[in-house]
Amino acid sequence: MAHIDPILFSVLDNRFSTICAEIGETMLRTSRSPIFSEARDFVSAIFDQRGRLIAQKDYIPVLSGAAPYALHAIIDHFKERIYEGDIYVLNDPYRGNNHPPDITVVKPVFYHGELVFWSMAKGHHIDVGGGGVGGYNPLATDAWTDALRIPPVKLYERGIKQQDVWDLILINVHIPFLVEGDLLCQIGAATIGERALQSLVKKYGIDLLNTVIDEIFDVYEKKMRLEIRKIPNGTYYAERKIDHDGIDTDRLVTIRLALTVDNEEIIFDYSATDSQVKGFLNSPYPNTVSSSNIALFSTIEQKIKINEGSTRPVTVIAPYGSLLNPQEPAPTTACTVCTCEAITEAGWFALAQAVPHLSQAGWNRWAAPASGGFNPRTGKFFSDIHFMSKGGGGATYGFDGWDHMGTVCTLGGLRAPDPELHELITPFRILNYEYIKDYAGPGQWRGGHGVHYKWQVLADNVAFAMFGSGVRDETVPFGLEGGSPAQKTRQYIIKANGERKWLDVNCFIQAEKGDIIEIFSSGGGGYGDPFARPPEKVLEDVKNELLSLESAKRDYGVVIDIDMNTLKINWPETEQMRKNQKQ
Amino acid sequence: MVYRVAIDVGGTFTDFLLLDSESNRRIFKVPTSPSDPSQGIFNGLELMAKAKGLTIDNFLSNVDVIVHGTTITTNAVLTGNGARTGFVTTKGFRDVLNMRRGLKENQYETKQGPPPPLVPRYLIQTVKERVDCEGKELLSVDYDDVIKAVNVFTQEDVEAIGISFLFSFFNSLHEEQVKDILESKMPGVYVSCSSEILPQIRFYERSSTVVLNAYLGPILKRYLQNLLERLGSSNFQGTLLIMQSNGGVMSPEVAMRFAANTILSGPAVGPTAGLYYASTYALKNIITIDMGGTSFDACLIKDSKPNVTTEASINGHRLSLPVIDMHTIGAGGGSIAWIDSGGILKVGPQSAGADPGPACYDKGGEKPTVTDANLVLGYLDIDYFYAGGMKLNYKAAVEAIEGKIAHPLGMNVVDAAYGIYHIVNAKMAAELRVISVARGYDPREFAIIVAGGAGPLHAGMIARELEIPLIIVPKESSVFCAAGMLMSDLRHDYVKTYTSSFNYVNFEEINSLFKQMEKDAMETLKQERVPQDKIVLEYSADIRYEGQFNEVEVPIKTVAGQVDMDVLLETLRIFHDKHESLYGYSMPGAPAKIINLRLSARGVTKKPSFKPSTFKGEDPAGALKKYRQAFFGRQFIEVPVYNGLKMGYGNRLNGPAIIEEPTTTILVPPEYSLVCDHQDNYLIHPKDQKVEDLITALRRYS
Repeated sequence: MAHIDPILFSVLDNRFSTICAEIGETMLRTSRSPIFSEARDFVSAIFDQRGRLIAQKDYIPVLSGAAPYALHAIIDHFKERIYEGDIYVLNDPYRGNNHPPDITVVKPVFYHGELVFWSMAKGHHIDVGGGGVGGYNPLATDAWTDALRIPPVKLYERGIKQQDVWDLILINVHIPFLVEGDLLCQIGAATIGERALQSLVKKYGIDLLNTVIDEIFDVYEKKMRLEIRKIPNGTYYAERKIDHDGIDTDRLVTIRLALTVDNEEIIFDYSATDSQVKGFLNSPYPNTVSSSNIALFSTIEQKIKINEGSTRPVTVIAPYGSLLNPQEPAPTTACTVCTCEAITEAGWFALAQAVPHLSQAGWNRWAAPASGGFNPRTGKFFSDIHFMSKGGGGATYGFDGWDHMGTVCTLGGLRAPDPELHELITPFRILNYEYIKDYAGPGQWRGGHGVHYKWQVLADNVAFAMFGSGVRDETVPFGLEGGSPAQKTRQYIIKANGERKWLDVNCFIQAEKGDIIEIFSSGGGGYGDPFARPPEKVLEDVKNELLSLESAKRDYGVVIDIDMNTLKINWPETEQMRKNQKQ
Repeated sequence: MVYRVAIDVGGTFTDFLLLDSESNRRIFKVPTSPSDPSQGIFNGLELMAKAKGLTIDNFLSNVDVIVHGTTITTNAVLTGNGARTGFVTTKGFRDVLNMRRGLKENQYETKQGPPPPLVPRYLIQTVKERVDCEGKELLSVDYDDVIKAVNVFTQEDVEAIGISFLFSFFNSLHEEQVKDILESKMPGVYVSCSSEILPQIRFYERSSTVVLNAYLGPILKRYLQNLLERLGSSNFQGTLLIMQSNGGVMSPEVAMRFAANTILSGPAVGPTAGLYYASTYALKNIITIDMGGTSFDACLIKDSKPNVTTEASINGHRLSLPVIDMHTIGAGGGSIAWIDSGGILKVGPQSAGADPGPACYDKGGEKPTVTDANLVLGYLDIDYFYAGGMKLNYKAAVEAIEGKIAHPLGMNVVDAAYGIYHIVNAKMAAELRVISVARGYDPREFAIIVAGGAGPLHAGMIARELEIPLIIVPKESSVFCAAGMLMSDLRHDYVKTYTSSFNYVNFEEINSLFKQMEKDAMETLKQERVPQDKIVLEYSADIRYEGQFNEVEVPIKTVAGQVDMDVLLETLRIFHDKHESLYGYSMPGAPAKIINLRLSARGVTKKPSFKPSTFKGEDPAGALKKYRQAFFGRQFIEVPVYNGLKMGYGNRLNGPAIIEEPTTTILVPPEYSLVCDHQDNYLIHPKDQKVEDLITALRRYS
């Protein structure tokens, strides 16, 4: 950093991050859909004049890497027609977006007539029309049955609201007031970012800021190169599967990764992955990049923020027409969940061969419904995603997996809904919402606990779009370095006559008043040999009724006796069992 | 002579402010005794008695009021040393507490575990019972389940129990039934119900709050009983009041029931103190900042009303009781400067604390800190730190900055030190932006009031960065919080969840809920012996647009707590305005919804006044101590250093200058001037503007 004041550099680097946090905070507090405000499924980002990502706040990481592609699509489309006071919107996965429910809203920031920055607020809407429920249509076979398609268009031009565009969007969704409210919330958030960026330009001048931004990119590139250098050179292979695409229900879909570390560069090559599929698993390239970023940025030793610079040493190869870079008009809605999970797992699995102590075991995969219908108690339509079933996180060297974390596409950033608010809005009564015994993958560090989530439907004609994966033996959360996989997720519907039916993922079901639905979500995978887990820790799980005496003995080699109502480790038998295993 | 005493027990020092009936004030400071804080308190009281030439019994018998801020509950949570606590909840929801809504804040960080639970799972017992979302009973309480819980708690020697059932804020009967059984079967155990502590929607937040209350209840109860006993046996017959996190005070009896209300007891008084100093100039818009050894607390106050939040958390556990909305970052005199892997200079959040402390303390600390930078830059005196009670090692400071910062970055030591100073200032300024600009407030319309040992050294530069025109450094800035305590009112906050669209509100129900809260408030304030004419009630509602998940608290402007259509429409109008200023948009036509009703009840206390000083003339020459080399405008220059003890009312000087008080140092930047007011407080303002004009302008924004 020869030519820049290192002090100013530090000050501005920090300032850009806090601006993103301010944009994010606004979305969090004012949005209408539970997916924004309760589950925090959104990202805020700021870009320089040239559209390069300076900083972002990714509550849900799978949205993060996709932001630059959306902005570039907008810049390419409007070129000379970008004016002060414009606000753009976009959701089409074949025009730069990742998947249709994540609607991108972006505002160009002008200062004295000059375009200086871009402020973006992008997030998952509860309703994007189409034939789905809550944005998910497991039977979609193309982009039109997936959702409403919005190419880059203007919500505002030169400060004037383009009412025609709003009308056109809002007539095509089921719950217009939620969508309208959340678009306004995104605009408000982008405006908060705009205010802050303009005051920076006023203070420092754009030329100085641009010089510092260039420097920020170089510094973060250097940081990433240093981290990649810590990973041994080589090519590492991994393969992960997804249960099915909703259309070909007996065919597992496979992602194949060849990950190459070459000194300071890293290449994610998915060339051997399956071709694109008929159903909604197809992952547009931005989503594939995002999901690869999750694997890498969560594994490197010193954590680095994602920006233009830190992603420079990373290359992602996905052949056109494959599952991970599909051709228009393949359906894509489930890619940010199901496909992202498999991509990220493949990354961790491959990196575990190079740096096992930094990688982590598999997390619970998402498997739960989006639901929608009419709630007679409130007299209103509702739409909702059942986030309560979040299962356990994977273990890593030195640490048990976190409980109730859910899918890796959120890395634990998804906040479970409040059961009371949930019951006030939806026609559901929760019957059970607790950790499950013996569901976490055993290990020296065990996986996080999965959740038993069970609820009764209190209205007729409620539609459920089941989406996700992890209900088959091939797709359970994997263990690492001798740790065991977790139990698979199980879903059932219990009819009024007592009949209990197993439910698959990626299908629709219709429930009637009185029906009960329950999900046993998997725990996380374990790390390291379970027989090396300190017996005291095993005893603690037994005492907490999260591990049975049988599993303690079978999986951990720890014998526990019950003596006068108190649990005690039987040390001689435990030592004997553990010695026998070694031989 | 009658006295009032404020006692603020901090991590390192216990601060005292003694005020007599002639408005004379005096500061005392003694080391805190962590194992039994009441010991430190008595050490201080002895000191005061001695200063007045009285025995402690004689002195205490003349003390009318003691206001006490304590960190005892804060520390219990931070160190995990609360009571052995059990938790009872609805069957099927055993993990609501420890799930913490399934959130991991540092998502990319893998080498980290969740916060340790306040209650391990085996001490969480579930009871079959259920109330639905309209408050109707679906299942009655299963007595056998309660007895099973009693057996577990008895066997495990539980000292405190929190109870939280689903929808208990609509129907508290089940919680009360279980509480009765627990109290009769387990006499002496501290039992706390969520419907009593926080009758408000959101299950985890309510449960976590009641568990914190139970976890802290026995600790605070023991402490206060012991303190009352000691004070009583030393002839104290006045009133003891305990500082709460909401900025008000309460009686020890109430505090014992609502222990969780004291978690942020100390710092919460900052705004009250700030408002006192601002009131001298009739200023209503201020920002208070408090910079100590490890942290920087900031609070924005608009129209004399500090923001209160119900979204605090401590050590990863949610506390949903109203607390003063204080923003805290890791920036203080002890903050460590370091270089990250990309070669970026950073300051904090790690702190060298008091031990080993900054390198210049010479207690074995090798890492460069903000204090080391201040010493190298000439802002601090080697020989006059803590009034000369501590000698600073200049060489150690230089070596630490040279070795860890300057050399690796290829800079000279002074530039590196200035870099540290500048970065920590920028960090604090950024924090002030978060509470001002990001919320739609212009910092240029606020005065800044400075507290804490390190605050006055940095406030000038922070103000310059944000173009804040006026800085007030109170004479008591180092015991700022203690001063504020003497200005605090009794305050109790009540909440009732009432969910309804604006279009369908039932005025009868709203008014009856407010009546219930008023009744509770009046009873409590009566117990605290507050006369009727000193009671002030303020009404508000949490409101959001239909479909949103977060609310905005909006005042309800009503006389005598009667809400009708006109009052409601006015409330709605304020809601739209507030939403616009906070979040950049509003939707005046859109349906809005009430979620909670709130009542804040104050018992207004008699505010003491401080005695004005005598005019000492404009020229501070008598206070000039010496000249010293200090770094200003990118070079070392000769700067006058003044003795604060000799400065007084009327003194004026121009920056650059340094004023040394026994427990703090004030830095006047080159572009600023300073004037000492009639209470010996320092006012710092830009040279080219008259302080009187600034104050007039600032008043206009209120």
